[in-house]
Amino acid sequence: MTATVEPAEAPGTSLHGEIAISVRDLHKHFPIREGALQRVAGHIRAIDGVSFDIRRGETVGLVGESGCGKTTLGRCVSGLTDPTVGGVYFDLSGQDHDRLDSILAVPEAARTEEMRRELETLETSHRVDRLGKQEWLRYRRNCQVVFQDAFASLNPRQLVREIVGRPLKVHKEASGDQLTERVVELLERVGMGRQHLYRYPHQFSGGQRQRLSIARAIALDPELIVLDEPTSALDVSVQAQILNLLNELQRELHLTFLFITHDLSVVRHMADRVVVMYLGKISERGTTGDIFDDARHPYTHALLRSSPDVDDDPEAALVTLEGSVPDPARPPQGCRFHTRCPVATPICGWEVDDVVRWLEDEPGMFDSLTDVARHDEFTAELHFSDEDAAGQLEAALSSEKVPVEAREALIELRRDGGTVQVSFQMVGEVELTERKPGHFAACVHERAPEAK
Amino acid sequence: MTLAPAPGPAGNAVATDSVASVVGLRIHFESKAGRVYAVDGVDFDIRDGETLGLVGETGCGKSVTARSFLRLVPMPPGIHAGGSVLFRPHQRCQHCSGAGCEVCEGTGRLPTSCSKCGGDGCPVCNGTGMETIDLSTLPEKNLREIRGDRIAMIFQDPAKALNPALTVRNQIAEVFYQHRTTDVLERAGLDTSPNPLLRRHVAQRSRLLERALLALPPLRSRRQKIEGVVDDMVAAALAETQIPNPIKVMERYPHELSGGMKQRVMIAQALACNPDLLIADEPTTALDVTVQARIIELIKQLQGRHKSAVLYISHDLSLVRRVCDRVAVMYAGRIVEVGTTEEIFANPLHPYTRGLLAAIPSRTHVRGQLVAIKGTVPELIEPPPSCRFVERCSYAVDVCAEIDPTLEGTEDGHEVACFIHNPPSVAAELPSFSRRTS
Amino acid sequence: MAVETRPLEPAAPFAGALRTRLRRFGEISREVLRNPTTLIGLILIAAMIGMAIFAPLLIEPNTPNPYQMPRDWGAINEPPGTPGHILGTTQQGGDVLYGVIWGARTSLRLSLIVVSITVVIGLVVGSLAGFLGGKIDEFLMRLVDVFLSIPELIFALAIAAVLGPSFGNIILALAAVFWVKYARIIRGQVIHIKQNEYVDAARVIGDSKLRIYMKDVLPNSVTPVVVQATLDMGNVVLIGATLSFIGLAEAGLAEWGVLVSQGQAGISAGRWWASTFPGLMVFLWALAFNLVGDGLRDILDPRTEAKR
Repeated sequence: MTATVEPAEAPGTSLHGEIAISVRDLHKHFPIREGALQRVAGHIRAIDGVSFDIRRGETVGLVGESGCGKTTLGRCVSGLTDPTVGGVYFDLSGQDHDRLDSILAVPEAARTEEMRRELETLETSHRVDRLGKQEWLRYRRNCQVVFQDAFASLNPRQLVREIVGRPLKVHKEASGDQLTERVVELLERVGMGRQHLYRYPHQFSGGQRQRLSIARAIALDPELIVLDEPTSALDVSVQAQILNLLNELQRELHLTFLFITHDLSVVRHMADRVVVMYLGKISERGTTGDIFDDARHPYTHALLRSSPDVDDDPEAALVTLEGSVPDPARPPQGCRFHTRCPVATPICGWEVDDVVRWLEDEPGMFDSLTDVARHDEFTAELHFSDEDAAGQLEAALSSEKVPVEAREALIELRRDGGTVQVSFQMVGEVELTERKPGHFAACVHERAPEAK
Repeated sequence: MTLAPAPGPAGNAVATDSVASVVGLRIHFESKAGRVYAVDGVDFDIRDGETLGLVGETGCGKSVTARSFLRLVPMPPGIHAGGSVLFRPHQRCQHCSGAGCEVCEGTGRLPTSCSKCGGDGCPVCNGTGMETIDLSTLPEKNLREIRGDRIAMIFQDPAKALNPALTVRNQIAEVFYQHRTTDVLERAGLDTSPNPLLRRHVAQRSRLLERALLALPPLRSRRQKIEGVVDDMVAAALAETQIPNPIKVMERYPHELSGGMKQRVMIAQALACNPDLLIADEPTTALDVTVQARIIELIKQLQGRHKSAVLYISHDLSLVRRVCDRVAVMYAGRIVEVGTTEEIFANPLHPYTRGLLAAIPSRTHVRGQLVAIKGTVPELIEPPPSCRFVERCSYAVDVCAEIDPTLEGTEDGHEVACFIHNPPSVAAELPSFSRRTS
Repeated sequence: MAVETRPLEPAAPFAGALRTRLRRFGEISREVLRNPTTLIGLILIAAMIGMAIFAPLLIEPNTPNPYQMPRDWGAINEPPGTPGHILGTTQQGGDVLYGVIWGARTSLRLSLIVVSITVVIGLVVGSLAGFLGGKIDEFLMRLVDVFLSIPELIFALAIAAVLGPSFGNIILALAAVFWVKYARIIRGQVIHIKQNEYVDAARVIGDSKLRIYMKDVLPNSVTPVVVQATLDMGNVVLIGATLSFIGLAEAGLAEWGVLVSQGQAGISAGRWWASTFPGLMVFLWALAFNLVGDGLRDILDPRTEAKR
């Protein structure tokens, strides 16, 4: 892990609007416990270095497939989960935002005493997992969540009045009749009414429950709402109603949305800017137009062309991606997407794990593999119980079975009896680089060529 | 009697016979609140070799309709209140023993002539001359022979549909044991009829003592031969779904596989016996979009090879547009529109279909102005005699609240149940798309 | 935006909430009454509890401690049907009917006290373990495991034997044995419920941990506890009767187990009534609560709850 922080916005240019949320170098690792004594055997790197901003009043769409870390990211932003490393900062003024970035750009050991003190002040008032009590309450008033499963997010034993009125009660804004009236106002705002006050959640349809969720979320007139797949479980016509409602509320109440979804047509409709995640990192981010009309990352291309869209040509085949998402506890080197990328190059991070993966798919060879002695991720000796199998591997690694780019990255391939020594070119992580103002992609290609 | 195949809508060569017809199907449920008319008069055909999409939102009855083919709807509380599900099974092509040849066009299956009239046409086969069975009244024993063999089904959540206690091999082997008993014995080089012991073992009906006998040396080697044959058949089925390294995957348990792999296993099991009809109930809803794309391509490829008909249930119109030749739209227990995919999307006739298409977020929608269909799906308990969509329709007039429109054809197979296109029998003011009433 | 349901009459706040909750209680009650076995159980329970509560009215005690069996040396071993002693008398001249009725009262006391104590202890331990997790959870659960590894009856027996025969000690012994069940149930429920999104929603609102526990976790964990408590009302008496049968209660106590034990000797001599009637009561009590408990379990099953 490097000490530098990915440039979210270059310092000094954030004069436009205030920043509602700044995510800086966020990491979230979950320990994997094994055995009777529950030893920690490794970490699932759900989020592995993510930075971006959400400006006040905008909608940022967070997309990716299952396991990419978007839900975990949503939870870190809303304060439900604390990050392992890095932080989520809320409500920074433009000035504070720049100051924060310049301090974070300096490696920790090199920071002056003054810098440290400044950082600490900034953190106590703005960093979500380090807030003081008052600040924490202020954050809770200003950041709310709408969950995917409306049924699971409403207490089945409470009446609507209690559920929607709870934020008002907790923050001592109203009680008794006053509370009831405020709740009725909120219900009417989301298209429901007074007659729903004394009902239980199970008496409503999915769309209505989601409206209740939304009513609860806007009760305290927050700044930011994190929406985690709010319409994924709804029928398309109900989804249309809810999306229209959300847009209306955003206009009326000047809300900022972090909209997490896997549905690209929804994100295209709702978001101003889009962040695409893959295996814990951002693979591309930019405005909605950038992502949908000028995608620079092969994964974004794959996502766009795998999603059947009402607008596009039904005869054109869907683009399919080979392979499956790698183990988040052992993410691939270089670019995490290289194991499935149709346009991978020799410098995309080919490593020993790739060889092991190829072996797994070949019948017979994997069974005679007895040991993999790694020097590092790129160099290792593979020991086989059967010389023939070793020979087969040597042959396979020089043949068409392995992509030509991987072969080019293989700087050493030697066989000694039943042992094969492989050594790949070492590459570091592929970082996000700016392609156009505000449009970043983490890919070695300038513009990812269209896959055949 | 073979008919010259006529080109179907998407350019696939399909025979004009249907492999299945649903006629006036009614399935109701008794609940505390009253009788729920979940499926209430559904008619459609599935043509041989085509992919028919059955789309609708939650509660429209599409899943119940699909499950009624194989009688998977629990019969209390469900009631079969009327109608039938007719099925015209094919038989194994004699010329190639199911392997595929010129005569059967590579599918390995040939249509079966009606057993009652020998192909001349009679009331039983509705004049088609094809063997016709009513699945809704078929005895359980016969239905079991059809399930998995002639009609197969794949479900939405592969994790729930695969037995967690069986390895992949044993799960798929079950299909071969049940439906290909004779084949298995033949391939193992064993006598197919005289040795009832082995035959019962393959059909998994061995009694306790027989199992003990089968463990003894003379029978054991034969039994192992059988297992070997089945292993090969399972591996072949898996390989067809492009699973890398099928031998390894065979030994795994479902929980060790990813969602996409599990779905492939389910597809392999479904297609193992080369069925005439595959029913897919939202097979990709639980999968990521990139995995979904692969599974859809796989289903299309396999269908092209086997030429089975597919009944594809989904709520996702964009998906259906890519997968299906024809589409049937369901609402509140009825079919409201049927037509070719192209027609339905280019020229939707029913207000509900229009509403659905307009609600999907697309490039042309301005933010905040998705067209939402007002109201919600009705409860389907004691429905009134009006059009089921009348409360939510923007073009409804008086007659729509009094009479229920029936599904009628307009041009070349495009049917719709709406008075805008098919005037009612009584003289009344007609609704039209040019006049919004609400 | 269209409002989706037909408007009802405007609801007054208190009445509205109360009405909905009453309606729900009514629904559950109706469900309970619909099941024939549960109904039988309820009737039995009502009869026995009625007997217990109205004991002083039904049979006047003539000794200073009404929980002691009366002795009437003039009427030993009278068979049932003797005037004044409908169910007969015991070896010590005690009226069997008295024993049956006051035994019900004793049983009610026993079960209520034990179940209350055990539920409270179990709730505290289970909630702490489930809510706080970590080392506390580990420690408490090992403790529970230790308790669970000893068979209920033997454990109760051991404690009662050590402490000496008395009603109070039986209560202690039973409480010591029964609490672990609730701790386990509650812990499991708390852990399960904690994962629900409505708990997350409450956290996001900023509610305190205690309030989240009281409003979100506890009310939704209560269902299996109610079922288990109902079943235990029966089981406590069953095991309690066993303990007193063995002799761990005070002699002469108006308690069914004691009566069965004392009447045992006479059975070979043909005097069946002193053991049989009290024994029958133990059976009926346990049966009644088990029937109702099982019925409740089916009705309160969260899956059927959701469908309602």
